[in-house]
Amino acid sequence: MALTTASRPALTAAAPTPPPKRGRRKNYASRRQEGLAGYVFLSPWLIGLMAITAFPMLFSLYLSFTNYDILSSWEFVEWVGFDNYKKIFTGDPIFWKSVRVTLTYGLIAIPLKLAASLGVALLLNRERRGVGLFRSMFYLPSLLGGSVALALVWVAMFNGEGSFNAFLGLFGIEGKPWINDPDWALETLMVLTIWQFGAPMVIFLAGLKQVPSELYEAASVDGASKVRQFFHITLPMLSPVIFFNLVLETINGFQGFTSAFVISNGTGGPVYSTKLYTLHIYDKAFTDFQMGYSSALAWIFLAAIGLITVVFFSTGKFWVHYSDGEN
Amino acid sequence: MHPATPAPADQPAQLHGSLPAGGMNRRHLLRMLAGTAIAVPAAGLLAACGEEEPAADPNAPVNISFFWWGGEARAKLTEEALKLYMSKHPNVTITPTWQAFTGYYDKLATIAAGGNAPDIFQIDDNGLAEYAGRNVTLDLSKYTSSNKIDVSKHPESLTKYGQLGGKQVAIATGENTPAIIYDKTKLGELGVEAPAVGWTYEQIIAWGQGITTKSGGKYWGLMDPSSDYKALWLWLRAQGKEFYDGPKLAFTEGDLVGWFKLWVDARAKGAIPPADVCHEAVTGSVATQLVVTKKAAVSFMWSNQLSEMQKATKNDLAMTAYPGDPKGQWARASTYWAASRTTKSPDVVADIINFLVNDVEAGKILGVDRGLPNNLDVRKAVSDALTDQKMKDTVAFENEITPKFGPAPAPPPKGHSGLRNTLRDIAETVAYGKQTPEAAAKQFFTEATAALA
Repeated sequence: MALTTASRPALTAAAPTPPPKRGRRKNYASRRQEGLAGYVFLSPWLIGLMAITAFPMLFSLYLSFTNYDILSSWEFVEWVGFDNYKKIFTGDPIFWKSVRVTLTYGLIAIPLKLAASLGVALLLNRERRGVGLFRSMFYLPSLLGGSVALALVWVAMFNGEGSFNAFLGLFGIEGKPWINDPDWALETLMVLTIWQFGAPMVIFLAGLKQVPSELYEAASVDGASKVRQFFHITLPMLSPVIFFNLVLETINGFQGFTSAFVISNGTGGPVYSTKLYTLHIYDKAFTDFQMGYSSALAWIFLAAIGLITVVFFSTGKFWVHYSDGEN
Repeated sequence: MHPATPAPADQPAQLHGSLPAGGMNRRHLLRMLAGTAIAVPAAGLLAACGEEEPAADPNAPVNISFFWWGGEARAKLTEEALKLYMSKHPNVTITPTWQAFTGYYDKLATIAAGGNAPDIFQIDDNGLAEYAGRNVTLDLSKYTSSNKIDVSKHPESLTKYGQLGGKQVAIATGENTPAIIYDKTKLGELGVEAPAVGWTYEQIIAWGQGITTKSGGKYWGLMDPSSDYKALWLWLRAQGKEFYDGPKLAFTEGDLVGWFKLWVDARAKGAIPPADVCHEAVTGSVATQLVVTKKAAVSFMWSNQLSEMQKATKNDLAMTAYPGDPKGQWARASTYWAASRTTKSPDVVADIINFLVNDVEAGKILGVDRGLPNNLDVRKAVSDALTDQKMKDTVAFENEITPKFGPAPAPPPKGHSGLRNTLRDIAETVAYGKQTPEAAAKQFFTEATAALA
């Protein structure tokens, strides 16, 4: 996927598409027919998009302006204008708590996950015996991804009597009740997120393979150190892939729900320490039965993630280098 | 998921839906015709069944969906009781669905939102007002007043605890009481007396402190119940106060400060474990309770959980009432049977509920799994037939405490299920020392007022 993102501009620039000869000869009606056929072929996807994504999304936008509570019948659903939005910003202390927790989580876990995946990708990029096995092994945790089982394992490892504290005990270090300690629970959750770095790692690996080895050879001849090569060749050449991973991981990261929900038993505790924004949305919808309010929360979330993505794209031109631009 | 009575109109529509988008060849045409030939009479038949009133023809086939939460043991008992009903009423088909408590309410809310609420479902007092208050449940008053659901032999307070706004919105599945469950073996080892009904909170905290001291500090006296709404409720009622007054809170910020302080002091004295130890047991199942994990001598539970908890530990367990005057207690419904307002066969639904709560045979099958049977005759028959010692203990406990009960309050109002979590979260801020009792009580009242409004 990363490769297409990285090389797509190159393709369009390099190959000015020659107009298809057949198409020019065709008359308007038959071209329209062709277009129609295209839509027919697209229709399974298009219908899916409309029915499963677009319609529910727009519907939730509508709900965010109502007092919909899931259970009451439709005649009781009232249009409340911006009340939900007003209440979120002025009368919901948990909202602000969850925003703080989510930002802390995102700002620490996402960069660290990217750094970890890039670091491991660099290590695994060298061709040596058994490297395929290592690549698979490092990818394994992300196959287990958002699984509930993994979160439960985390609970078993990082509670007061967990195996992690037993391990620390071997060195005479007294551990903490990690996931039951409000000052450490979020950090423990972050470690779980970072540990699942397999997906971006594979993309980084593919990106690293694309960096022409001549560049390194030339740099070596010129006497550039490995560190210098990394900063002046690897990073710039990899920047489109980094950008791609950054955008994707940011969106994924902020949407994290399962592990926080399972580890905290659905409470977001202890003391709100793992109350991610997504947990607040869930609570409002399914515990407090305020689906309209919850929809408003979700749309604020969408707007915030959208804004972050726009910021990434607009700053991208300062640090993302597409190879065709340089050649 | 919950195959309700099939909507007859769907049948032909689906077949027409299979009409090929492009041109039609002969094979298509033939297949379609064949399909229609079968479907049309079938649809007519289905329509006939669906439209007819069950009362008009008592033998017309009826499909009932039935949903509850619980473990495998409960599922076995419930399915057996439902089979007994079906054998007596061959025209009724009950489709049971069950799952663990975690996620039960999410699923119930989701299917109810889709307008497909199960015909009969299990619910507890935390969810009752949420559903009844939003008109999801069927009003059963008509059936209780006409004795089609016979409550004449049920304790009155138990029947009342299923009423909201003057309507009988649900029927209790059984009687249940909050109870503290303690580790008898451990108390024997430490040479400590057993707690008893009517102890004050001061008494039990001092007693707990003694256990912690005697055990050397790594085993504590009590679980910290400060985040548990039902403990707070009983503490208030023992003092003649209440939790709710209609849809509002009936206690004051000062009361709550007192409650939080009680447990801050208890922690300072060492009677209850540090907050992180308690946190593991706050929302967990029986398996994570401190009595089971052998970290404390007392857990704050329900009387019907004794048998299940005993299965999770080798030490001998016993139980008694929550501290405070037992007049704070009342006959509580462990869970209820509620019916969907949109059910197609309300009479059959009422008859099934009546069967489950009043039939002696059904009662014997169900046992005390959902609390003591409501019907006192059934209760007697069931208790006589019990073999599980801990279930017998539960019955003995209920019999001992029932005469001491105070009057039943109304079930908690709409908004309660969220409020209970608010108390849990805010009580934890005090337990972890992140907030003073005063600041926490203030936060609770700010959030509660918004939630109940």
